[in-house]
Amino acid sequence: MDFTFTSEQEMLRSGLARLLSQTCSFDQRQARLRAGRGHDADVWRQFADMGLLALPFSEAEGGLGGGASDVVAIGELLGRHLVVEPYVGSILLGGKALALAGERAGALLGTVIAGEAVAALAHEERHGIGPLAMLGTTLSESSGTLRLDGDKRMVLDGAEAQVLVVSARQGDRLVLVQVDPAAAGVSITGYTTIDGRRAANLRFAGVSIDPAAVLLDNAEAALDGVIALATLALCAEAVGAMGALLEASSTYGATRKQFGVPIASFQAIAHRLADMKIAWAKANALLLHTTALVEAGKGGAREIALLKAQAGRLGRSLGESAVQVHGGIGMTDELNVGHYHKRILAIEAMLGSTDYHLRRVGAAAA
Amino acid sequence: MDIEFGPELEAFRREVAEFLDTAPTPEIREAGRKTTSAFAPFEAAIKWQGILNQRGWAAPGWPKQYGGTGWSVEQRYIFAEEYWKRDLPPLLPNGLQMVGPLLIEAGSEEQKARYLPGILSGEDYWTQGYSEPGAGSDLAALKCSAVADGDDYIINGQKIWTTLAHKANRMFMLVRTDGAGKKQQGITFLLLERTDYPGMEIRPIIGLDGIPEQCEVFFDNVRVPQSARVGAENDGWSVAKALLKHERGGSASSPAMYRRLETIRAAASGTPSPHGGTVLDDPVFQRDLGELEAEIAACAAFEKLVISGHPSAADPAMPSLTKVMNSELTQRISVMMTRVAGLEALPLQPEALEVGSTAAPLGSDLELLAMPYYLNSRATTIYAGTNEVQRDLIARTLPTA
Repeated sequence: MDFTFTSEQEMLRSGLARLLSQTCSFDQRQARLRAGRGHDADVWRQFADMGLLALPFSEAEGGLGGGASDVVAIGELLGRHLVVEPYVGSILLGGKALALAGERAGALLGTVIAGEAVAALAHEERHGIGPLAMLGTTLSESSGTLRLDGDKRMVLDGAEAQVLVVSARQGDRLVLVQVDPAAAGVSITGYTTIDGRRAANLRFAGVSIDPAAVLLDNAEAALDGVIALATLALCAEAVGAMGALLEASSTYGATRKQFGVPIASFQAIAHRLADMKIAWAKANALLLHTTALVEAGKGGAREIALLKAQAGRLGRSLGESAVQVHGGIGMTDELNVGHYHKRILAIEAMLGSTDYHLRRVGAAAA
Repeated sequence: MDIEFGPELEAFRREVAEFLDTAPTPEIREAGRKTTSAFAPFEAAIKWQGILNQRGWAAPGWPKQYGGTGWSVEQRYIFAEEYWKRDLPPLLPNGLQMVGPLLIEAGSEEQKARYLPGILSGEDYWTQGYSEPGAGSDLAALKCSAVADGDDYIINGQKIWTTLAHKANRMFMLVRTDGAGKKQQGITFLLLERTDYPGMEIRPIIGLDGIPEQCEVFFDNVRVPQSARVGAENDGWSVAKALLKHERGGSASSPAMYRRLETIRAAASGTPSPHGGTVLDDPVFQRDLGELEAEIAACAAFEKLVISGHPSAADPAMPSLTKVMNSELTQRISVMMTRVAGLEALPLQPEALEVGSTAAPLGSDLELLAMPYYLNSRATTIYAGTNEVQRDLIARTLPTA
């Protein structure tokens, strides 16, 4: 057993950490968000130059053949730096879904991996994710043509994407179709999320679909795999954010004085900090353990659900404590603490909430 | 014991209901729906206060001689119940619930005559200048100084978490007038008639919810008349402690909590669940909503005991008990709102949140409000004495032998 990153992964992490501290400092991030520019094209190109965008794709797909542990090694740092570049949206969701089409994804996938095009996966709906029978978006056939109808929510990078992959139910099967964002019947409402990402709500009203645009039929298991990897990355981000909050809070507790002493010398604060450490240790351990399971082909839906639930609930609790320990200053937009907490809250709601995953785990024996 | 309000009060309830149904303008109703803080949208809240004041109902808790209603505790509770049923904006608390009652208790006759009418009508908005960067929970460590000079004081230093100072035209504050002796001594309570004295600078602070609700205020040789003082010089701590009682105790918050609960239930009944059916059909959600209601019920019962004069009201722990219960329940309610909103709580929608905005929200009102309300509510366990400090205070009232 070994739950550490390899030396290659550690090298990649230190290179990425250096890049992020130069290009994605908190102040730089906030300035970009205030300017309303979304992600930074220059940073994104540097991600591509480092091989980060190619990492999770197989060599046959034009990638570097990286696995779950590579994605987690990166994801933790993306969370620690509150990165708003579309790694999860365009690479792990949009790009990986597109890659399911195999050779047909071809050149288009190449542009996504090169960072020249943005891809998005439209899967979540108003109820979030759930069993296939609940998927409200449908692909139907009438008089020889295929049409797509439905509503998608929280599509990461959905308003910026040139390549749009949409999940739909066709009878009792899940299909993935590629949709031209400019096609008639597609409406896209873009927005920024509380944690600084770009996302969109999408509506498809009788959008006609070329049969060649059906990327994959019977796609349920394959899509589950894409979502599992993206979930791992989001949980790694959450653990990275939790680590940053733990450090910030313990430092603040040791330096902020009230009643003539550091506030961490009060037991109420000391125990709260200890609980934060416990929460981080649990989430971090489960993240690395689950990653090793997935990499060994032993991590199924149940393992992913356990991790997602724990990252969400432990992360929320730790984030709320971080704000409380910081007091008034923790309530300000100026300090990074609240932004880390908002990143965790967003992750908790995406790809199945804590409640959703806990119920799934509780309902079925391992 | 008697749980009934009495039949004569039903007529009163109808009178209140009729007024509250007809008096608020559409702008005021919108501000009520879009309230995501203890502080409602400023302009609409002030207008609403003016309308209530014309009816004589701006300050249900004040004695009649100063412009209060003279209502019994039952009438005040009924008023609160009817008020919250209609999602009206709460009146801004600083004047009506803090400095007003303080002046009634500790102000000179001249101060009462000079300041109470403007507080009642809403023409004057008073911001609270207590906390400083180095004096939060340890408020008595405050350093912002006032030095006597002829008939004036000259103020130097900084205040922070001065709510809505950028909208205020007046300020009540604590200053240090003597640095020797115990830190609680040497503090003086001042009323500032202006917030634009030469040397005074106000900078808004943007909160987690993106809204500039709090401010910093800087004082550089600001000259104010000594007649601005309440109580004696160096006796401001006891003046302020009396005010903290008004800030922390004897509230009627539960009708607003019940209203939020109702809103959550209604929204949940229209929100699809990933387990099939609606969120309200989910037995786990039902159980948690039940727990939330049970907690609100206990808080409501405690509030009624206190306002009806039960011995609980005289419990020295009462203000802290009330503060902890209210703040932590507010947070739990806000968490439940974000839980129902799910993914829909994640888009930033600052334009749709503005009163009078033409920008439509992406989804329902609850989905629009859940996240800003949740984020703003994180402050409730921090302000007015952190809940850690409140628990210390509660513990100190317990028998020790």
